[in-house]
Amino acid sequence: MPHQLTGAHILCRALLEEGVDLLFGYPGGAIMPFYHALPEYPGLRHVLVRHEQAAAHAADGYARASGRAGVCVATSGPGATNLVTGLATAHMDSVPLVAITGQVPRAMMGRDAFQETDIIGITQPITKHSRLVEDAGEIADAVHEAFAVAQEGRPGPVLIDVPKDVQNQQAAWTGAGARRAGTATASAGSPLTQAALLREAAAMIAAAERPLIMAGHGIVLARAYDELRALAERTGIPVVTTLLGISAFPESHPLHLGMPGMHGEVHVNRAIQQADVIIGIGLRFDDRVTGNLAGFARGAKVIHIELDPTEIGKNVPVTIALVGDAGTMLRGLLAEVRPRECESWRAEIAGQVRPRVESFRGGLTPEGILGAIDEATGGRCTVVSDVGQHQMWVAKLFPYQRPNTHITSGGLGTMGFAVPAAMGVAMARPGEPVWAISGDGGFQMNLQEIATMVQERIPVKMAIFNNGYLGMVRQWQQFFHGRRYSATPIWSPDYVRLAEAYGIAGRRVECAGDVEQAVREALGRPGPALVEFMIEQELNVFPMIPPGASLSEPIEAEPAPLVPT
Amino acid sequence: MTGSHAVTVLLEDRFITFNRAVGLLRRRNFPVRSIAVGPTATPGLSRLTIMVQSDEATAGRAVEHLQKVIGVREAVSFPASDGVARELALVKVRGPGHRYAEFLEVIQLYHVTVVDDAPDAVIVQLSGSESFVLSCLRALEPFEILEIARSGAIALRATNHMGSQP
Repeated sequence: MPHQLTGAHILCRALLEEGVDLLFGYPGGAIMPFYHALPEYPGLRHVLVRHEQAAAHAADGYARASGRAGVCVATSGPGATNLVTGLATAHMDSVPLVAITGQVPRAMMGRDAFQETDIIGITQPITKHSRLVEDAGEIADAVHEAFAVAQEGRPGPVLIDVPKDVQNQQAAWTGAGARRAGTATASAGSPLTQAALLREAAAMIAAAERPLIMAGHGIVLARAYDELRALAERTGIPVVTTLLGISAFPESHPLHLGMPGMHGEVHVNRAIQQADVIIGIGLRFDDRVTGNLAGFARGAKVIHIELDPTEIGKNVPVTIALVGDAGTMLRGLLAEVRPRECESWRAEIAGQVRPRVESFRGGLTPEGILGAIDEATGGRCTVVSDVGQHQMWVAKLFPYQRPNTHITSGGLGTMGFAVPAAMGVAMARPGEPVWAISGDGGFQMNLQEIATMVQERIPVKMAIFNNGYLGMVRQWQQFFHGRRYSATPIWSPDYVRLAEAYGIAGRRVECAGDVEQAVREALGRPGPALVEFMIEQELNVFPMIPPGASLSEPIEAEPAPLVPT
Repeated sequence: MTGSHAVTVLLEDRFITFNRAVGLLRRRNFPVRSIAVGPTATPGLSRLTIMVQSDEATAGRAVEHLQKVIGVREAVSFPASDGVARELALVKVRGPGHRYAEFLEVIQLYHVTVVDDAPDAVIVQLSGSESFVLSCLRALEPFEILEIARSGAIALRATNHMGSQP
């Protein structure tokens, strides 16, 4: 006969059955029975964050780095609502996450009880699935379903809401084990049609004069790095990597062009505009990638390889849709594609490469800083960026050679992501340096997590690109709002003394000559360390496609200053 | 071609599943005209009928999105003209009084059933295609409509197309 356990114990055991060994969380009233049981399961390491948002981002970082679902835990009400930004971030970027929230006891639900919120309702648009567990007997099933749904197909976050009395309720523990979710699966077409589509795609690639591969996050999710490289090398087709596709293809490879879109280099965007066939793999043709849709790649037929059928034709008309996992589809395509060259097309693109136009005073340049990090780590590090100008520099200037070493909040563009996400990345990749790179704005959104790093001994190296502004917003104000720097100058505390207060190494760098030593020093410390780089205040990210413009209309220099009249 | 499309969904009959399906239609901005839900022959499963005013591709996209919702077992779409779509309406009109003969004429003409007859107000029941219901309502307008309750259309794809009957 199966023995009786409380819901809280069943929850812990079901997590163990799923292979979970790490939780990021924060206790509170409605999740206390779970926390009461937790010490009895030493296999479940719990990291106490300083804000639930950080628990979600850390679980997200862990998931992106490990490929396994990250887990975060919060109490009801404010604990649960603090997870929201993290869940939305994971949802936009297809990251497998399982969030467990406490809920007020069943009898009190719907009565505006203390710390009650309808977290299922609140998170519905930003989760792949969610479930209120109404009986302890359902907990194991809910957990197994959550992991299956979060990780299967296109990954995403799943939330399980467990009322406090359900955590205390006794139920039979059967050790049922993981199960698959009963999702209605969209048909990817019969094997016959698919084979025909693959042949058709191969023929289109063979006939193309100016083909281009656009690789997105789907390559990373499917770990289809070798397949992508094989396709590019066999056909000589140049490769563009989207923000979340960066590091899916080695930056040093002669076929790698760079990042497309709003801050893509001119020759990359021109290649898109001039292409006659675009092979889009595991990307969703986001507006930051396409610019104005009416003017996007007008001469190109699009072959779209994508796992999620709802992405096909959502933004860009597709000629051939190959619905499925990027790896499987690429292997299918490789079986059909004949070797070819794209010499003249590549030469044409190379002829359009423009010298970078950003200019930096004082020599403390983003590439200098990023280059020093790359050099000091011998390229063996993972870079987690925040959101804003530095994010674009980190995306464009770091020489990624190894897959999945660039982690950022792409779709949602969540400031404050880097510091907590880097904790998750560091725990997924022990023994490898992890750098959290933020601006002075984003860093101040979640700097409280330094305390978590100290308490849990998570050796994240933090770099702050401090320009005294919310730089990207300031750049938009400069370009499009008549230089009215409304609410963008931002004061920072003394980060070196802040580091000292937290008991970690901290250093400020004001000139290029000190960069290398500061980076090496931070890496040499066993625990977390912080380096603040005082970069030029009014740097801009160039080129830039103005919002609403097409990829053919980049801004390559600062607009002329306003002349006083 | 833009027109009326029926999206029919078989889903677990739990509030949360219904909520998810409908929330998704709102979030993705689908041009929904009506929504109706009710049980099916299979215990635990409901059928949701959504009428959208759109082209076929948009209706198809709604289906693909709905198929991703956990708890949705099946979703299909078809042009309303390829199926049978019907709705039910209850209409409360002011007691026809001296215009009773005229009222009876309308009732007979449209096969409307009187389901509640009181001195001040009469409730009639009518059912049929959307256009039939609308023309009935127009015919009843002269008698001062007090309240209307419409079910929203339910639809099934026709196996043997019967054409447009009322």
